[in-house]
Amino acid sequence: MKNIFMRIAAAGLAAAAALTMLTACTAGSEEEERTTFSVGFDAEFPPYGYQDENGEYVGFDLSLAEEVCKRRGWELKKQPIDWNSKDMELKTGAIDCIWNGFTINGRENDYTWSTPYVDNSQVAIVRKDSGITELSDLSGKTVAVQTDSSALAAFEGDDATDENRALAESFKELQQVGDYNSAFLNLQSGAVDAVCMDIGVANYEIAARGDEFIMLDERISSEEYGVGFLRGNTELRDEVQETLIEMLDDGTFASIAEEWGLSDSVCLSADDTVTDTAKKEDVSFGKKLANISGRLVKGVGASLAIFLLTLIFSLPLGLLVAFGRMSKFKPLSALVKLYISIVRGTPLMLQLLVVFFGPNFLFGINTSASYRFYAVIIGFTLNYAAYFAEIYRSGIQAVPKGQYEACQILGYSKSQQFFRIVFPQMIKNIIPAIANEVITLVKDTSLAFAISYTEMFTLAKQVAASEATIMPLFIAGVFYYVFNFIVAFIMERIEKKLSYFR
Amino acid sequence: MELLEVKNLRKSFGDLQVLKDISMNVGEGQVVSILGPSGSGKSTLLRCISMLETADGGSIVYCGKTGFTEKDGTAVYADKAELKEIKSYFSLVFQNFNLFPHYSVIKNITDAPIHVMKRSKDEVMKEAEVLLKKMGLADKGNYYPYQLSGGQQQRVAIARALAMKPKMLFFDEPTSALDPELTAEILKVLKELAAEKMTMLIVTHEIDFARSVSDHVVFMDGGVIVEQGKPQDVIDNPSNDRTRAFLKKLEQ
Repeated sequence: MKNIFMRIAAAGLAAAAALTMLTACTAGSEEEERTTFSVGFDAEFPPYGYQDENGEYVGFDLSLAEEVCKRRGWELKKQPIDWNSKDMELKTGAIDCIWNGFTINGRENDYTWSTPYVDNSQVAIVRKDSGITELSDLSGKTVAVQTDSSALAAFEGDDATDENRALAESFKELQQVGDYNSAFLNLQSGAVDAVCMDIGVANYEIAARGDEFIMLDERISSEEYGVGFLRGNTELRDEVQETLIEMLDDGTFASIAEEWGLSDSVCLSADDTVTDTAKKEDVSFGKKLANISGRLVKGVGASLAIFLLTLIFSLPLGLLVAFGRMSKFKPLSALVKLYISIVRGTPLMLQLLVVFFGPNFLFGINTSASYRFYAVIIGFTLNYAAYFAEIYRSGIQAVPKGQYEACQILGYSKSQQFFRIVFPQMIKNIIPAIANEVITLVKDTSLAFAISYTEMFTLAKQVAASEATIMPLFIAGVFYYVFNFIVAFIMERIEKKLSYFR
Repeated sequence: MELLEVKNLRKSFGDLQVLKDISMNVGEGQVVSILGPSGSGKSTLLRCISMLETADGGSIVYCGKTGFTEKDGTAVYADKAELKEIKSYFSLVFQNFNLFPHYSVIKNITDAPIHVMKRSKDEVMKEAEVLLKKMGLADKGNYYPYQLSGGQQQRVAIARALAMKPKMLFFDEPTSALDPELTAEILKVLKELAAEKMTMLIVTHEIDFARSVSDHVVFMDGGVIVEQGKPQDVIDNPSNDRTRAFLKKLEQ
């Protein structure tokens, strides 16, 4: 027996080693002769890169990349990425460049850049009926920007103008959202009053979403787009740059720009020269760790709040649901069964979206900004109550029939029977299963990002994006582990406490 | 005076008629044993009398109060308040004890008197200690059921039943889950209770015990009472072939 295991283990190791060598080889050969070109882009950023109605990834940037590849004899790989992970994707070599309406301003030293090919400005979009006509009207309002977007940088980045900083200060809240679709859902539902974004995107969105929204004439900032490569990867940058200029010269670039309605914003010029940035100097590990941990701490409270409030509401609610499920009144038990089935059969992330956006979509209710947190708690509570209900039910059904008969003979009322006899035995039965759910809940709190609620994991991803390191994610992992270690310890204590009877 | 009058009791589970026209009485201070092979309906009879099962027809009168009577072919039970009163007249000791595992011995005995009968805690505790002493378990009050032997658990169950101060006690095969040594413990307790003139109705397999302690023996088979009478008659000189066959089988 032992021998077989050893052999399997050895075979596994050998396979892993071979695989490592293989990847190392392909990585090496790529430098000599490139065959593929992998473009990272945010698939929700029209018209630069997005998914069309046929499910194809298309866009201005992707068309450019396609043309570059055609001329270079490369195979184009369109790799949609999570915008928060773009730096890690680039660092690990999973993508060769970021080509996606990627703003140079403020990031000059973070990437090796092509020359700018699009000049873009940041604008604000509001609801037509909002009465907001200029930027100063946004004072006291809730404004949404995409996480790590140019609009956010224009307000809070290192290079933000004092004017824009003051403007951002005057907002009631500067809300970061994951993607523009949810930004517009927020705007439509009234959860935010304005969305700030690139002018190209803004034109596209307004055309696509009808005349419900308008763009303010006043600009927040101007900026330029370039193709971003890993710092120091000048070789690949030069190849792409050369081909782009070639395309500019023979008019292909202009026709592609026209095709995507961007003729007004393109600015590629053979006169611009590329700049090479030196390697970033390393900040000491300890300093970085302290900095990142300090920034994550803010999110810990939010995660804890989700965790505790969900437990406080879902544990008792689960009991009521369990009673409904076991009710002899058929319509009630059928209804509850349907609820449990839906909750268990669909992703929690989707449920959170429905709870947050549903009131507006279904009833046209304008949601306030504070509803975001309530939606998180409601979504989590409804979800966990269903799971807890099934656990309670199994625990109740595991109490022997003889216990009920003894109660009947001794004259206990129904409520005495439940609270004095059945409940304590049920608790003992279900502690291990409850512990499982509670531990899952700790990790599930990270799903609150689905509706842009900034708990710890969302914050970790944001910090990881801005610092271009995965260290915050590891720190987040340690936090979850420690949190769960404590939860497991407490549950074990409870289990031990209940071991006084069998 | 009759404490229990069962008349023409019927009970079916689906198509299977388990009790067919059962009539029997238990007088005050009497010990009545119900004997019979497995599946004869004796446990179902006791459960119908204890109201753990709902009868289909017939009637039962407890201490002069009618628990249910037959009207238009079905059993019609008394109202809630009356049933509550009737249920306080009797208690039942189970084959599997059915003690509450999360309660200590003393709490098992005192919980119902305190919370159901709403009696004073001090008084109930004093009585419980007397009962435990009587059961030979004076030092086990703070033990939990799983720490006791089967015989000890059954004695706690009997104490729990007695603490409700019932007018009569029902036993559903109280020794079936116990080995012979522990069986003797329980039979000793039952004999003591009989000596104190406790009214008892016992479903049992213990022929010798039934003979020595019972005033009246009921022999059941196939859902009917085959014969009943004094133990000397039913057990020692059975007139019915089925009784004879059953007793002969037990002797082997």
